[in-house]
Amino acid sequence: MGVDVLIAEDEPSILDSLDFILRRAGFSIESVTDGDAALAAIRRQRPRLVVLDVMLPKRSGFEVLKQIRADETTRDLPVMILTAKGQAQDRQIAEELGASSFITKPYANAEVVGTVKRLLAEAAG
Amino acid sequence: MRAPIGLRISSRRRALGISQAALARQAGISASYLNLIERNRRQVGGALLLRLAHELKVDIGELSGEAEHRLIAEVEEALADPVLQSPEFGAPSARDLVAQQPAAALAIARLHRAYQGAQASAEDYADRLRSDPLLAELLHRVLSGITAVRSSAEILEDVADLDEVERQRFLASITRETRGLTDVARGLIGQFEQEAKGRRPSSPMRELDDLIFERDNYFPVLEAVAGELRREIEAAGPFGEATLTGLLERGFGLRVVRSGGRELDAQGFPGQYHFNAQTRVMWFQTSAIAATRQFQLTRLYAELVASEAIEREVMAPELGSAAARRLGYRALGSYLAGAIVFPYERFLRDAEANRYDIEALRQTYTASFEQVAHRLVTLRKPGEAGVPFGFLRSDPAGRLTKHFPLPGLPMPGAGHACPLWAIYGAFRAPEALVRQVVQFADGSRYLFIAKAQARRVANFAERGAIHTSVMLACDVLHADRTVYATGLDLSDIAADVPVGPACRLCPRRDCPDRQEEALMPGGQPAAVRAPLVPRRFDIGEAD
Repeated sequence: MGVDVLIAEDEPSILDSLDFILRRAGFSIESVTDGDAALAAIRRQRPRLVVLDVMLPKRSGFEVLKQIRADETTRDLPVMILTAKGQAQDRQIAEELGASSFITKPYANAEVVGTVKRLLAEAAG
Repeated sequence: MRAPIGLRISSRRRALGISQAALARQAGISASYLNLIERNRRQVGGALLLRLAHELKVDIGELSGEAEHRLIAEVEEALADPVLQSPEFGAPSARDLVAQQPAAALAIARLHRAYQGAQASAEDYADRLRSDPLLAELLHRVLSGITAVRSSAEILEDVADLDEVERQRFLASITRETRGLTDVARGLIGQFEQEAKGRRPSSPMRELDDLIFERDNYFPVLEAVAGELRREIEAAGPFGEATLTGLLERGFGLRVVRSGGRELDAQGFPGQYHFNAQTRVMWFQTSAIAATRQFQLTRLYAELVASEAIEREVMAPELGSAAARRLGYRALGSYLAGAIVFPYERFLRDAEANRYDIEALRQTYTASFEQVAHRLVTLRKPGEAGVPFGFLRSDPAGRLTKHFPLPGLPMPGAGHACPLWAIYGAFRAPEALVRQVVQFADGSRYLFIAKAQARRVANFAERGAIHTSVMLACDVLHADRTVYATGLDLSDIAADVPVGPACRLCPRRDCPDRQEEALMPGGQPAAVRAPLVPRRFDIGEAD
C-alpha cells in the first residue's frame, strides 16, 4: 500500500519539521534526502503526492520532476516544489516542467499543509 | 585633431637659432619644402621626421606632441562622461583646457581614471551579487536556516499537545540552525571585508600604465642589467634553453621538468608553466613551445639573479599599492627577460634590417609573435629608438587583456575597442597576419597589424583552447619603415578604414557598425536611439 506523501529534502531540520506537520495533518509519510532516492521511492512506494526540494544532492529536484512527467505511470502525480531560490526564473522552469505548486522558503507551515491538502483533493477529483 | 607638427618644428628651429634654409640643407630637403611642412601644408613622417628630430636635437615624440595628445584624449573621455552632462556645465574643449590649464587638465584626467576605477569596482560587486556561486550558496544556507527556524518555532507555538521529547527536539533544532546562521553571517562579512581590503579606488593596472607611460616603456637600468646577464649566460654556452637549464640546475639547485597533464601554481591557477619555490622545480607542460620555455627560463634566471634591480624599479612613486607593485614586479620581470632574449642594439639593428618583419625576427630569436611584438614596443631608447608602436591583446570576447599605449592613439582605458579594428578581424582568420590602415575622426591615421593564435594544446581533451589576438599599431607616418606597408598606397586616404577608439567614445554618428551609443560632451543630452515612431519623453526635449 502506497504512502500519502513522499518528502525529498536534504536539510535534516527542515525534513524533520515537514515530516512532523504533515503527519499531524493525518498523512502517512516517507522521506528521502537525494534525487536518485526520490525516483526510486516514487517507483517503489507509489506516493499520492511528492514534496520536492529543488537543490537535492545527486539529481536536482527539477531533474526528478522531469522524469516524473516523462514516465507514463507517474505523469499525473501531484508535485509540490520547494525552493530557497525564489527567483522568477526558477518558478518559470518549475511551471514549464509541470509542477503542481511552487512554494518558496521560508514558508509558513500552514501554507505547506494547506497546499498538500488542496492538491490531494484536486487529484482525488 | 592632430598636433600641429609644422608649428613645433618651426618653434624648435627658431629656439635653436637655425635658419629654415640651414635646417632644410641638414635634413636633405629643399627650403621651400620645409616651408610647406612648417606651415602644415605637407605631411611629414617616417625617415624625414627622424632626420628633422635629429637635427633639432629632440625626441620624435616631442615634435609630434604625442604626450600632449594622450592627455587631450583622456580629458576628452572625461568630459564625455555622462556624469558631467548638465545644462549648466559649459564644457570647454579638451584641447583648450590642456593648452591653458595643463595641471588642471591632468587633475581631471586622473580624477576621471579614479572614478572609472570605482565604477568598475561597483560593477564587479553587482556582478558578484548576480552570479557569484559562493554567495549564492551562502544565501541558500541562510534561507534554509531561516526556514527550519521558522517552521520549528511555529510548531512550538501552534501545537498545544506537543510532548516533552518533541518540544526538546524542535528547540534543539532552532538552537542548531541559529548557530549555523551566525556562522554563515560571519562568513559573508569576512568575505566582503577581504574583498574590500584587496581593492583600491584606482586600479593597479592604471598605476602600472602610469609608470610605463612615464618611462616611455623604456627602463635603462634593466636594459643594462639585461646586457650583463646575457653576457653571463653566453659565457656558459650558446644562448638558449639548454644553457639556461644548465645554469639554473648547477647554479641554483633547481630542476626543470616537462610533463603532460595539468598542474596548478601556488595561487591555484592552471598554466603551461610554473615555478614551485618550495620544491625548486620549474615545470613546463609538454604543450609549452620552445619560445615559451626559453623565455620563461630566462625570466626565472633574471628574477633569481636580479631581483634587487626589479625591486628598485617597482618602488617608483607611480606604483602606490601593493597590488600594483606585485603587478609591476611581474611586468618588469618580463621586461628584463625580453631585454635578455632580445639584446637592445642587436635587436634594433635586426628589426630595422628586416623592416620590423615579426615573422623573420621570430626565427632569429626563437620567439613567439607576442614576445617579439612586446619587445618592439620597448625600443624607445632616447637617440636610438625604433618605430613607436602601441600594443594590444584581446581575448575572443573582445576584452583587451594587455595593452601598452601609443601616445596619440585613442585607445579605450578598459573594456573593448572599436569592433572594426584589425585586432578583432584577426579572429576571423586565425594564424594569418591582418593589416589595416585606419583613420580616426580627427584625421589621425595608423597602420594596424594583428594576428590571432591559439596556444598549443596538451592533448585531445584541451582541443577547445581559445585564440587570443595581438595587435601592433603605429602612426602611418612611420609605416614606410615597416615591411607591412609593402603594397599599400599609404597616401590613398580614401582607402582608410574609418574607425574610432570604441563606440561610446566615437563621434562617427553615421557608422553602420555602431554597437553602443556615444557619450556626448558635457552640456548635451545623451544621444540614444529613438523609437520608430518619434515620441517625446520630457518637457522641452527636442524631437
